[in-house]
Amino acid sequence: MTAALQYLFDALSLGSLYALGALGIALIFGVMRLVNFAHGDVMTFAIFVLIAPTTEAVAPLWVGAWSTPLLVLTVLVAGAALSIVSEWLVFRHLRHATPATTMMASFALGFVLQNTLLVLHSSRPKAVNLWPTLSAPMNLWGARVPGLQLLMIGITMALLIGLAWMLKRSRVGLEMRVAAENFDMARMLGVKANRVILMAFGLSGTLAALIGLLMVSQTGLVDIRMGGPMMLVAFVSTVIGGLGSLGGAVLGGFLIGAVSTALQAWLPLDARAFRDAFVYLAVILLLLWRPDGLFVTSAVRQRV
Amino acid sequence: MNPFFQRHRLGTPLVLCLALLLMTLLSFTGSAGLQRTVTEILIRVVMVVGLFIFVGHSGVMSFGHMAFVGIGAYGVAWTTMEPSMKLLMLPGLHTLLQQADLPWVFATVLGALLAAFVALLAGSVILRLSGIAASIATFSLLAIFNVIYSNWDTVTGGASSIVGIPTPVEDWQALAFAVLAIVLAHLHSISRYGLGLRSVREEPVAAQSCGINAWRQLLVAFVLSAFVCGLGGGLDAQFLGVVNPDAYYLSRTFTCLTMLVIGGSASLSGAVTGVIVLSVLIELLVRFEAGVTLGAMTIHLPTGSQEIVVGVVMVLMLIRRPAGLMRGRDWSWPMRSTPAKANLKARTPN
Amino acid sequence: MNLLEIHDLNVRYGGITALHKLSLSIKAGETVMVTGPNGAGKSTLLKTIAGLVKPQHGSVVFDGQLITGCAPETIAAAGFSMVPEGRQVFNSLTVLENLRVGTGMRRNKLAVAADLDYVMDVFPVLRERALSQAGMLSGGQQQMLVIGRGLMAAPRLLVIDEPSLGLAPLVTDQVYEALMRLRVERELTLLIVEQSASRAVMTGGRMLMLREGRIVLEGDPRQLTAHQMQQAYFGYEDEPVTASTP
Repeated sequence: MTAALQYLFDALSLGSLYALGALGIALIFGVMRLVNFAHGDVMTFAIFVLIAPTTEAVAPLWVGAWSTPLLVLTVLVAGAALSIVSEWLVFRHLRHATPATTMMASFALGFVLQNTLLVLHSSRPKAVNLWPTLSAPMNLWGARVPGLQLLMIGITMALLIGLAWMLKRSRVGLEMRVAAENFDMARMLGVKANRVILMAFGLSGTLAALIGLLMVSQTGLVDIRMGGPMMLVAFVSTVIGGLGSLGGAVLGGFLIGAVSTALQAWLPLDARAFRDAFVYLAVILLLLWRPDGLFVTSAVRQRV
Repeated sequence: MNPFFQRHRLGTPLVLCLALLLMTLLSFTGSAGLQRTVTEILIRVVMVVGLFIFVGHSGVMSFGHMAFVGIGAYGVAWTTMEPSMKLLMLPGLHTLLQQADLPWVFATVLGALLAAFVALLAGSVILRLSGIAASIATFSLLAIFNVIYSNWDTVTGGASSIVGIPTPVEDWQALAFAVLAIVLAHLHSISRYGLGLRSVREEPVAAQSCGINAWRQLLVAFVLSAFVCGLGGGLDAQFLGVVNPDAYYLSRTFTCLTMLVIGGSASLSGAVTGVIVLSVLIELLVRFEAGVTLGAMTIHLPTGSQEIVVGVVMVLMLIRRPAGLMRGRDWSWPMRSTPAKANLKARTPN
Repeated sequence: MNLLEIHDLNVRYGGITALHKLSLSIKAGETVMVTGPNGAGKSTLLKTIAGLVKPQHGSVVFDGQLITGCAPETIAAAGFSMVPEGRQVFNSLTVLENLRVGTGMRRNKLAVAADLDYVMDVFPVLRERALSQAGMLSGGQQQMLVIGRGLMAAPRLLVIDEPSLGLAPLVTDQVYEALMRLRVERELTLLIVEQSASRAVMTGGRMLMLREGRIVLEGDPRQLTAHQMQQAYFGYEDEPVTASTP
């Protein structure tokens, strides 16, 4: 019983992380039909403000030394700002480009971001110790769950509910949904296209920075490559959830979190290193069954 | 002009191969370092042409083709290294492979066939997905390759490099394979598979109503492109003498895609032009990173700035000129038109 | 003063000129019907006014403001509302949400509520199906929805591109009845592109016929003869039509 509970919390917390990542991707995809391969690098860049730029093995804390509320706020704002700047500099000029072009552009952007971090910080992972008290395990019905995991799950749930409400009920949400469905028509009705897109990007960047914070609290390390594996799972989650569906993306994230945790527990010891390969294989199998993802939206279908 | 020449549009591959030949000949007037650089360029031509065969015709961006390059590279390592070394470094290797010591051309082709086989399996699934989803799936293909080859220590040496691969590949060998790649790509392009795929790219529904099976066209291109990429990988391994999983991961993927996009992903000439132009740019930047003296000043770019500059150039290119330098057109052999016959220009339509 | 003034408009798509030095003016309260064969440039004209297409040359002045080259949302805010070809409802939104999309620019909430009531009065089906998904409505119902949606932006000029497209004649009658009611009750200026020349004649107002990017006929349809209209529409000057005529 306790083992199952342990597994549940592990799966939920990992799934939350993936779901948040997938949500950030799905938001931008929904509004702009853009798959943002730079998302992971935006996350990493936002996180690196915690330490001062130096190529030494040990980096002095910069924002990381500030008080918690200020720290969190700064990192989140950094993520939002970077995301917005990337829209303004790059993606704005690609509004009518093909998907292949925009994917390549976001890939290039991510590459530039990562290499900029390389120049500033070197490729060595640096230690950052944030909120060590959160790692202390709490006893929940027999299972030992780190407080951080509960926080992750809690934040994700709150965010999901909040975002769903925003999209369904608020004016901003309406404009985002409208821009996602038919951009030109929305503009003809007076919807300020650029503002809507900027908001989507800002929101996406904030989500990315949040994930980064959670990851750093968990691992205690920052690494210029930390965005990669995380974001690949986020992309894959959106695909299995169905491109264009926010709910699908979140579900996809939790699904992969569950499968990944299960494999971690049940795979024989020597096969553990290949866990990620198995997860992707499982994804490919799922796609064999449901090529358009679990929730099909009008984003993918073409009207004949 | 010769109707056979016209009908098969031989002008384009001829011009491209001659250009590469010229480049190779010119390299002999320079240092050994220049010859090595030219060999590298020729190997990249093989890889990027391989990429073009799929991406150029389908319009689907693939981030996973370095997996095929890597499979080809490791395949060659398994079949050409000295058996005693293999016993030492790769104990998990099957006896057949461990004893194998094949002639290098045969080994290269074999490695490429393995890559093609993997592409057949992976492509059957991935290519059922819509364009965007397929691109994301190719990314996960790359990740799977990287995870497996980085962790299967007994068979691939894990994350550390395998050294001691024999290196018979120099300029002429690389040129020969570059010509082969161009010929294969051209044949595919003018075949019904290439045409079929381009029609699917332009207007999927209309193509379907003409009886063209999109998935089959895509699969043929995917497998062929994997084969050519695998050839490139085999050459790469037998030029450097070293393989390593990270050499066939994100950095290489970015470089090859950039070369294709900058040249123009819709044409074969675009692929080749992109390789040459970008290789020159990268060489210049690498020189600047090492330090260049201009008069009284020494300009010294920090390490990693080469990638940043290439990335920025790429983004600018995508914004201003997404069709690349060649804009989907091909270099062709100048033709004289005969009044009686129709004027067939050897140019791939835009 | 003219509500809309277009002067020497030149629009090109690649090598093809869609509009040739087109000039046109519309007074407030007028109803102008634009007809013409396929490819005449009717939709291009509307898209250019709406800001979706940038002209190579020429100017568009709306309510005294120069709007050439402005963004569509700015033009919409100036009091211009367009109902495009093919209806283009927001399928995944409800009828009510569709209607609300155009109200973002308006400050007066009471006026918005009153307008909503009015629109549902003119098109009762919208009140019945207020919470249904817009994608589920029939063609005619969707046409009414998009006209209502256009109205919710409180425009001074309402432009409609092919309102009868894909609709049964009876349904088209209903739509036009509603439009005529709006014309009177709301003092709306209407610019309607209509494929069916006879429908254009029936509706009255001023008729403009476009062919190959130029205005070839203009005037009160009741004073133009069928012969004149046919000539303008098909492009024959005073020549008999024979087999060898290119």
